[in-house]
Amino acid sequence: MRILFFVVLLGACLFSLFLGPVKTSPSHLNKETFFILWNFRLPRVVFAAVNGAMLGLSGSLYQLVLRNPLADGFTTGTASASALGAVVAISLGFPAFLVPFPALLGGLLGLVFVYRLSSRSGVVSPVTMVLAGIVVNIVSSSGISFLKYLFEESLSSVVFWLMGGFFLVDWSKIGVCLTVLLAILAYSLFDALSFNLLALDRYSAASSGVDVDGLRRRLFLLATALVALSVSFTGIIGFVGLIVPHVARALFGSDMRENVYYSTLMGAMLLVVADALSRVVVPQGAELPVGIITSLAGGSFFLWLLFKKREGLWYAEG
Amino acid sequence: MPRADTRGEIGIRVEGLRFSRGAFSLEVPWLEVSPGEKVAIMGENGSGKTTLLTLIGGFLSPDDGCVEMGGEDLVRLSPRQRARILAFLPQVTSVVFPFTVYQLVLMGRYPHLVGRKPGPGDVQTTLKTMRMLGLEDMSDRRYLSLSGGEQRRVMLAKVLNQGTPVILLDEPVAMLDARHSLTALTLLSCWEGTVVAVVHDINLALPHFRRFLFMREGQILYDVYKEDVNSEILSEVYDVRAYKCWAFGFSLPGEDRPVLPCSRHL
Repeated sequence: MRILFFVVLLGACLFSLFLGPVKTSPSHLNKETFFILWNFRLPRVVFAAVNGAMLGLSGSLYQLVLRNPLADGFTTGTASASALGAVVAISLGFPAFLVPFPALLGGLLGLVFVYRLSSRSGVVSPVTMVLAGIVVNIVSSSGISFLKYLFEESLSSVVFWLMGGFFLVDWSKIGVCLTVLLAILAYSLFDALSFNLLALDRYSAASSGVDVDGLRRRLFLLATALVALSVSFTGIIGFVGLIVPHVARALFGSDMRENVYYSTLMGAMLLVVADALSRVVVPQGAELPVGIITSLAGGSFFLWLLFKKREGLWYAEG
Repeated sequence: MPRADTRGEIGIRVEGLRFSRGAFSLEVPWLEVSPGEKVAIMGENGSGKTTLLTLIGGFLSPDDGCVEMGGEDLVRLSPRQRARILAFLPQVTSVVFPFTVYQLVLMGRYPHLVGRKPGPGDVQTTLKTMRMLGLEDMSDRRYLSLSGGEQRRVMLAKVLNQGTPVILLDEPVAMLDARHSLTALTLLSCWEGTVVAVVHDINLALPHFRRFLFMREGQILYDVYKEDVNSEILSEVYDVRAYKCWAFGFSLPGEDRPVLPCSRHL
């Protein structure tokens, strides 16, 4: 099943390779279309897949650690706080390859703020978390807009940060993202059995043999690293991390050994498909930021989650 | 390092325990529980039962004092080592995400796993534990779809499945019906290991525990064996008028169901 799913993902990547403003098809390859496929489409599809995987995995980890089905990089405020961190760094003239670090710092600060505000003795209230996340989102967005106003030249557009997309892709960015993703995924798959215990209340988890605080801190850091890295290169692509863990859970059960794997793969698939859509949806070769599409899909899903507490996807209140 | 399969060989020693939070303070100068002993902690609401149990388990840090199990100071053990010595059922448990009953009970085996996944031995133990608590038919049901009492039995099964020489339970039967309460308490009273449990119902507790700690305002007021529990003690501890009229014994002749002793005035 795991292999089958991976093959499906590869198929989706291959298919989306041939979608875009310039018509290409596998049966009519000439020098020009091959050049486009190899130098523009392929890196972009791979980058979309890697970023989707990072966001999906981070969502799976956030929902577990916060014990909250509404959590992901976006709703926790981590993504926009990371974006603010990245924007501050660029304004201060950081070299591009160092930008992910201030982004991570920003993301962690945002996350700690939201966590402190929404948790009472280790129990996170889903609704308060979303509200605190909104606060971080608003403050970060206004911070980004302000910096854009001050440093007109050095920053990409505000839209880039708030509605992310894959505009500037190169293989070195892909390499960095892929390395970080594979390292965190490998660790997560290795240790997923202990992750399961974090789904229990604090004392039940601790008495079953996990270092609850240590593991939570570690997973917070890893999930935030994934989000911060993704945001520094692509801007905020919302809701991927919210949707896929739910779908993975509904299809393959709650066991984190499955959820970590399938959330990663489905995240990749979702973003590859959304990115392909963003390339063809507007006629005459214009492109949408992919964040618009994921936010639209994610927003609807979020609404459905909020109102329809379906048994199996949701959990008991209190 | 005591092994997990050496049940019944580990006792508890509490020395100079002090803990205070806000207006509440707890003080237990000395408490020793011998290996295999079955101890019930009783007392009115807010008397410190849960706090004492949580402190004994090492899940709260005391202001002063220490807890030893089998000669090992609890604070020096890693969470995993501790989980091989003692299992703990909190008063309130919660689970997020739709885990199945089997998955949850299996989680109790976590501290014993050698590899990255449960072995055949863990699966066998889990199935056996589930049978003991009558959960075998709901193995694939989702925990969150169960009733409160059923959920409690699942968490109890998870705790027993840990197979530790010491078990601490905070109101293990609070939500269970009469039959399941008796089954669970009988199971605990026959358990090879040391059992310390907070129980509210004196009628249920009396036949199943050997020793009773009565708490009031953060102190152990009485530490008595079952035979010495009397209506004076109960009246003082609970501030009620207790009459002595309990029935002993587990079954009646010609009847294989356990008997629920009922008292009219408590």
